[in-house]
Amino acid sequence: MSHTVHIQSSVTIRRGQLHRRDFLRAIPAAAAAAGVLSWSDLMSVRAADLRKSGKACILLWMQGAPSQFETFDPKPGHANGGETKAIKTSVSGIEIAENLPQVAKAMGDLCVIRSMNSREGQHPRATYLMHTGYLPSAAVKYPTLGSIVAKELGNPASDLPSFVRIGNSRFSDGAGLLGVDYDPLVMPAAGRPPENTSLASPEPRFQRRLGLLEQMQTDYANHGGKQAVSDHQKVYAQAAKLVLSPKMQRFDISQEPQAAKDAYGSSQFGQGCLLARRLIETGVTFVEVSLGNWDTHQDNFNRTRTLCEQLDQPYAALLADLKQRGMLGSTLVVWMGEFGRTPRINPSSGRDHYPRAFSAVLAGGGVKGGQVIGATDAGGDNVQGKPVGVNDMLRTICHSLGIDAKKENMSSVGRPIKIVDGGEVVSQVFS
Amino acid sequence: MSFPCRYWQFLFASAVGVVLTAFSAAAADSPAQAAAKADKILRSEVPYANPAKVAPTRIDDERFLRRASLDTLGRLPTPEEVTAFALDPSGDKRTKLVDKLLANSQFGENWGRYWRDVIMYRKTEERAGIVMGALESYLTASFNANKPWSDIATDFITASGDATENGACALIMAQQGQPEETVAEVSRIFLGVQIQCAQCHDHPTDRWKREQFHELAAFFPRVASQLRPQTQTFSVVVNDEPRAFGGRGPMNQRRQGTPEHFMSDPKNPQSQGKLMQPVFFATGEKVPLGTRDSERRGSLAKWTTKKDNPYFAKAFVNRMWSELTGEGFYEPIDDIGPDRSCTAPHTLDYLAGQFADSGYDIKWLFRTIMAGELYQLPSSAPRGSEDPHMQHNVVQRLRADQLFDNLLVALEASEPPPLGGPGGPGGLYGRGRGPRQQFTTAFGYDPSERRDEIAHSIPQALTMMNSPIIAQALRGNGRTMLARLIGEIKDDKALTQELYLRVLGREPSSSELETATRYVKTVGVRTEAFEDLLWGLVNSAEFLHRT
Repeated sequence: MSHTVHIQSSVTIRRGQLHRRDFLRAIPAAAAAAGVLSWSDLMSVRAADLRKSGKACILLWMQGAPSQFETFDPKPGHANGGETKAIKTSVSGIEIAENLPQVAKAMGDLCVIRSMNSREGQHPRATYLMHTGYLPSAAVKYPTLGSIVAKELGNPASDLPSFVRIGNSRFSDGAGLLGVDYDPLVMPAAGRPPENTSLASPEPRFQRRLGLLEQMQTDYANHGGKQAVSDHQKVYAQAAKLVLSPKMQRFDISQEPQAAKDAYGSSQFGQGCLLARRLIETGVTFVEVSLGNWDTHQDNFNRTRTLCEQLDQPYAALLADLKQRGMLGSTLVVWMGEFGRTPRINPSSGRDHYPRAFSAVLAGGGVKGGQVIGATDAGGDNVQGKPVGVNDMLRTICHSLGIDAKKENMSSVGRPIKIVDGGEVVSQVFS
Repeated sequence: MSFPCRYWQFLFASAVGVVLTAFSAAAADSPAQAAAKADKILRSEVPYANPAKVAPTRIDDERFLRRASLDTLGRLPTPEEVTAFALDPSGDKRTKLVDKLLANSQFGENWGRYWRDVIMYRKTEERAGIVMGALESYLTASFNANKPWSDIATDFITASGDATENGACALIMAQQGQPEETVAEVSRIFLGVQIQCAQCHDHPTDRWKREQFHELAAFFPRVASQLRPQTQTFSVVVNDEPRAFGGRGPMNQRRQGTPEHFMSDPKNPQSQGKLMQPVFFATGEKVPLGTRDSERRGSLAKWTTKKDNPYFAKAFVNRMWSELTGEGFYEPIDDIGPDRSCTAPHTLDYLAGQFADSGYDIKWLFRTIMAGELYQLPSSAPRGSEDPHMQHNVVQRLRADQLFDNLLVALEASEPPPLGGPGGPGGLYGRGRGPRQQFTTAFGYDPSERRDEIAHSIPQALTMMNSPIIAQALRGNGRTMLARLIGEIKDDKALTQELYLRVLGREPSSSELETATRYVKTVGVRTEAFEDLLWGLVNSAEFLHRT
């Protein structure tokens, strides 16, 4: 019964526990009797596959839309290029903006896509679109990329969450229809522990309190609250496991050797990238680190230069670090923002929003580095040749991570939602 | 005769008119009668499944007080209220209690927040936070004044003006003034019909055709939601001018309304599409092309709220029944279309008919459901898919606002103002990052989602366990409630009872008292032990639920 199999593959599994109501709602009794794979069989098959995969993703989110002219698609010979010069990179024939010298040296690992194209030029909608592949809708809460990857590749039995977000998380949204288990653990800054993970009392007292709590709940459990208490105890056990886990130490970047800290620099973004590497190393599947605000309607050249100074060293250091640890092959590193900036320089020396042609960069995860895909015309006004749309980019990311983009999840009213709707893998990225 | 015949005819007609009006206003049964009738119909459709086939014993007064307070006011009863209700000897004390609770202004605040969440959790406009205050004020005032639900629906459907002043604009503004998204929400919220699946193609399982969705959208094309950067406000504006293009801005944002709505052609997306006449799928009524906006939306509001609209009354009754008893006639609660299956349809029909006859009187509905048997039965976990329907009330998670308020009251903490005032820092996009907002981020959920799918999460557990603000308020030293009580009440048992009363609204059982007493002895330090006990109480599953 193809319908049954379809439903089976999209039923949610929360934190390693089978969610009984989903299962019973989806599978007709006849199908269950007909010998369809039992749930424990299915779970063990999936778990083995997941652990084998070992793939991970770091999304470097450039919030506010970085100017492609001042980063990866400079136009020094044209009026639109403004004062920004181009520099050679470690790959002959490829030049990027002078603002990113360290990144230029790492070009051998990078695949620059200059033909990104979208119709959305408003920050909230475009950010949402880039992260989910859909425009915001009242009817469906589309899941963000990190939640999708956490669900597909994450290890449900892990102490640490599969999806961590470091920095500003405006408009990038959460797990939506996938459920709270795939929401990110949000850290406003890499230098401090995640919110509410520092124990309010010393550990022995904390343990004692947990014991008292369990005793206190028995009465309520016997008077109608059995399910509530049982679910509650489970989540408390998981939360306690998280905060008491030696793996929480992984969130503490002060434990890194000085050489590593120096390589990434002491900026917030640098610390975020260092933490991302630490977390991926421990088994976290998806880390999003944001840097902003790139929305340079005024004073574009100075402000972008300053932001690039914050970007340059950590981005290069992250790539080198992953490479040196043998992690680059299995870790996809995505650099992108919600759109680009106008070729025309406005009266305030700024550039405004421009989704028609902009840049994104991929590295690691099987990506063939040292290449440029797509191009813009001489003035940077339009994409030449075939554009890469938002869903093309997301399909390409799925391909790198081994995720089936056509797989469907169910919205709350039973509407099947593909992970990515349409789009094509940009195969040149990998060949 | 000296008086003209017509004058007597006029008098007679007026007298009959007055009498008839009086009859139709009183056409709904009293809450007590309606509750009794509904009980009878319900049990004929869904009999009790226990071996004796009888109703289980209703909950005692103490439990009823707790449940009713949480359901109406969103908070636990105070220790004084608990004592007063326990001592009240009157036979109809539960009815009197419900009347008292519904007259309390916190009723409007609590249910205002509920509907605020219903609307706001589905927003596609990220800056909708800016109108939340106005929305909440409008809803609170409406519920406290017992404004008919038909008037409230009309306000939302026909709203225009400054959204930071007219809270009823929020539904349109939250959907960026887009006709398709707006009517999808109007249909979901007021009719319980999920017609938006037919936006792009004929509905895969239901009977709705693509045309019907876009005929509904055709009531709203002249409406837009405009940002006024100078005043940092949003306005819902109407454009009745016959311009060909409403105009999308260069960034694809909708700037102005258009005279008519077009259904896009999937085979030719660049073309304008098919011109749609406004037709209301629920009643089949329509207005011609070229109709002014006020008549379009005014007609839609009229047809939505009229008595023979098959969905309007049912949608509200279904939702309230589900909120109060834990199980809807239809589930999910905002999905009651003709292709859905209904538990106890005659009961719903009866109550919906009565609700309409009452003039869509919201407090009447509360009184009726809360006087019914099912509301007063003991609660248990949500039913499994093989279990019989509507056998008991259901343990339900409280909303973030309710939890936060209960926490404040239990710990005698006052609410610190959000940073930067109600709009928060960061202008349009920023929201106050005060404790209430942080709490809502962790504990908030969309009230229309299936309640048994609101999973307890790790960030929630971490908040209650480790939040520095809560930890501070739990201390047994300094100027906290606990410090004061430890000083005032020297007897451990009495102190334990006081804490249970404050946090859970009830006295501890004898085994709970024993657990506490044993614990205090083990720890040895009184202050420390009671800090732990109070921590246990606010971290309990019971605290998070309305039982």
